[in-house]
Amino acid sequence: MDVSGAGQMTPSRRNFLKSLGVVTAAGLIAACTNDNGEAAGNGNGGGGSGNFPETPEWNFVFVNHVTTNPFFVPTVYGIEDAGAILGTTHQWTGSEGSDIGEMVNAMEAGIGGGADGIGIALVDLDAFNGPTDDALAAGIPVLGYNADAPNNRLAYIGQDLYGSGFEMGLRIVDLVGSGKVALFIATPGQLNIQPRIDGALDAIAESGADIEAVDIATGADLTEELNNVEAWYLGNQDATGMFAVDAGSTQAVGQVVRDQNARDNALVAAGGYDLLPETVELVADGVLDFTIDQQPYLQGFLPVVYMYLWKLSGGVVTPPETNTGLVFLDSVGAQLFLETESRFEGDAEEQKIVEPVG
Amino acid sequence: MTATQQRADAIRAENIGKRYGPVLALDDVTIRLGRGEVLGLIGDNGAGKSTLIKILTGFHQPDRGRLVIDGDEVALRSVSHARQLGIETVYQDLALVNQLPVYLNMNLNKEAVRRPIPFLDKKSMRDDAQNHLTDMGVRIPSVDTDVGFLSGGQRQAVAIARAVYSDAKVILLDEPLAAMGAKESAIIIDLILELKERADVSMILIAHNFAQIIEVCDRINFLQHGRITHDMAVGDTSVQELTELVSADYRGRASRREDHEPS
Amino acid sequence: MTELEERETGGEAIEPPVSRSLLVRVGTYLLRRPESTVAIAALALAVYFTLANEFFLTAANIRVIANVLIPTAILATGQTMLLISGEIDLSQGAVYFMTPFLAHFAVEAGIPLPLAVMLALLGAGVIGLINGGITLAVGIPSFIVTLGMLLIVQGVTLNLSDGFPARAPSVGLDVDIFGGAPFSGLAWVILFVAFLHIVLTKTRWGVYTIAIGDNRLGAREAGVPAYRITMRNFIVAAMLAGFAGIIEGVRIGSFDPGAGGAAGLRVFMAVAAAVIGGTVLTGGYGTIIGAFLGALVLAVLQDGFNIMGVSAFTFGIVLGAAIIVAMVVNALASKARIRSQSVKL
Repeated sequence: MDVSGAGQMTPSRRNFLKSLGVVTAAGLIAACTNDNGEAAGNGNGGGGSGNFPETPEWNFVFVNHVTTNPFFVPTVYGIEDAGAILGTTHQWTGSEGSDIGEMVNAMEAGIGGGADGIGIALVDLDAFNGPTDDALAAGIPVLGYNADAPNNRLAYIGQDLYGSGFEMGLRIVDLVGSGKVALFIATPGQLNIQPRIDGALDAIAESGADIEAVDIATGADLTEELNNVEAWYLGNQDATGMFAVDAGSTQAVGQVVRDQNARDNALVAAGGYDLLPETVELVADGVLDFTIDQQPYLQGFLPVVYMYLWKLSGGVVTPPETNTGLVFLDSVGAQLFLETESRFEGDAEEQKIVEPVG
Repeated sequence: MTATQQRADAIRAENIGKRYGPVLALDDVTIRLGRGEVLGLIGDNGAGKSTLIKILTGFHQPDRGRLVIDGDEVALRSVSHARQLGIETVYQDLALVNQLPVYLNMNLNKEAVRRPIPFLDKKSMRDDAQNHLTDMGVRIPSVDTDVGFLSGGQRQAVAIARAVYSDAKVILLDEPLAAMGAKESAIIIDLILELKERADVSMILIAHNFAQIIEVCDRINFLQHGRITHDMAVGDTSVQELTELVSADYRGRASRREDHEPS
Repeated sequence: MTELEERETGGEAIEPPVSRSLLVRVGTYLLRRPESTVAIAALALAVYFTLANEFFLTAANIRVIANVLIPTAILATGQTMLLISGEIDLSQGAVYFMTPFLAHFAVEAGIPLPLAVMLALLGAGVIGLINGGITLAVGIPSFIVTLGMLLIVQGVTLNLSDGFPARAPSVGLDVDIFGGAPFSGLAWVILFVAFLHIVLTKTRWGVYTIAIGDNRLGAREAGVPAYRITMRNFIVAAMLAGFAGIIEGVRIGSFDPGAGGAAGLRVFMAVAAAVIGGTVLTGGYGTIIGAFLGALVLAVLQDGFNIMGVSAFTFGIVLGAAIIVAMVVNALASKARIRSQSVKL
């Protein structure tokens, strides 16, 4: 900073001017920067939100396995909205293509980089256990979301995978009653869908109903799934029920039921999981009887609240295991879903009150 | 038979044929190179001269015919095999590696290595290359220079030096003067003449500049439609005659064939 | 002196360079190397991130940087040899995910880990053999062949694994050696970098690799065994990719199939590291040390941005832009260097 005439100033005045410049610059930078560059509300360290005291701008790191998958868009909205209320910031990171090594690195970077809380989609039985213990030892709360594994995380927020499958199994018994029923699963053994099919099969078995349930693998991508479901149906046109436990297979079931007019044959009921747009339409049209919503919005919103409370209370308020959903969306609910766009569904960014339809 | 012909020819190729798919590159080529001789090979572009050279150097295998090298019939398996028998080639495209220094280019595929672990013996290769180039009167800034930085004439000189470097007995030169300016050509021609002085090297030279051919060669063969149609001593012909031969071929007329039967 | 000679040498007889101080000579030598640009870039980035974030230069974060660096560095060194010889292996990313499962099956069958690793590497080598075989024998560009193999091997991996991660062996000295111990990964990187650097600069394998990449026809005309050397480079690229996958899997405790198409990103990073480090995609020129430094630049960038809180949606933009900048800077620096060298002539 070359202020002309500075040579004749007294040292104290020169220093004062210099510090003024620094303060101004710092103020400018602070004014220009927002938290993490994310579109968010005023995360300014919470000048005490609601009844709470002023808290530092805690930063919660969420590690995900498919960071750019549209399924998680509502999750990120949930994180943002909770953060805006409580004055926290977040980072959404991990791997785009299910590279577990990348996720581990992101988690460890968060630990070493001073994260105040970590949310991790536990899509692996082993890889995250070491880092979780390291984080907890460093006083960082760790929550699992969307997918769970035996791990020392404080709590899991997401769908109760086995439980939802079991509920679906009970509903299958209700709707179908008897006959041959197919249960489609994209990739058997995968940690966040296998328990669903286990639950369904168990529920059907325990009910004692006269149902012959078979589980079929459909594959990892949408076209493959469609082909496999279609192939199975063409060889089993006496099926009374077709159900699926993952988003892609559910959509495939719906498309096959519609294209093959399965309900004109022996088919009595069909349904599955998650809210792919095509799936929701098929439920609204009555082609599928239901789809199960695991409410990804809550899978982002609640962990932020839990981590905030944990930090605020010094660990006294421990996060509870939370089942974000076992919402059976039927044709009425699907109608509502189709007619509205909101942050909760992930297809609109604006904040608004959603009016119930009908 | 003359005295030189009583010793075995350096190379004799008999009834060589080579086909590439539908194209008959060489039909029935019989060519001989005497000891210590410089044979000029002329013919229009695409007449098969390069193919013939590549067969003589072991890069291609002929479909028909046989090769007799220094009196022994040989089937050349590879370039390395030909090299072992003392045949070296200077290709039209020089076969130099721009990203490697001069001394490594000169030793390409015959590098000196240490024992027991076969690391390159760079020092000895460098010294040898430097000595050799100096012996041959080739001036380049340094044997460490990457060949890509040399001028066209320097590159050509290095390529020829490489061929001579290995005590080759037969050197085949495929258009060594093709892209050379007058002054650079002069250097190369001087090199070739100096090699000729040594008397223990036999050469086949492909070129289009007939003045240069006559200056350097002892004998000239004309490759036409896959065969050697003319074989004449340099003293018996002239630049004009050669020019007419080639252009007559181009125009589809044979002239003076009755005066110059293949021997 | 003839007129031509005068022109060539600038009119003076060439004399050996005047003896300068060792430091100056070493300094000039280092600055002339292409690796110096990358090293400076890595240093500059490290300084930037250190200033931008208090956690960057901590022991914990340096360990994260090392972990990000290791797989890419090993992949990149293998890829570099192949790039110099004029080919490319896009299937490296998939071989990286496939090979650990081969080791896993061997271990499950009761085979001790070191032997299991060797068998798995044999499997990886087979992929390299196929890559090279189709490229060289049939004459299809390696870009296309290895792209196809990337997809095929990804499918193979999903089938081998049923889309599900497998637990990695976790206890034992052999486990420590193959990625379990904290610095074993780094030790392997240094080993491979040193080995291939020596190969490239001091052996015939290296000379032939450069020759083939720079002038394949010419090299063959000179008798260089082009097929054999290129095939060797294909196999090395694949085996190093497999090895990187194994030690990374052992480190995180889990062999994961990378089901979401992560293979493509892995090999992209490897190629980017090589190119940032100074290797030319058209062949004939490259540096192993540069590949390591390029991987370091990428690791510093990735971890630096991560630690600064850049989120996934913007991450790609930032990292991609940084990579392009790095490559452009290196390309310009190379051109300047070549100009200065030819002027000296």
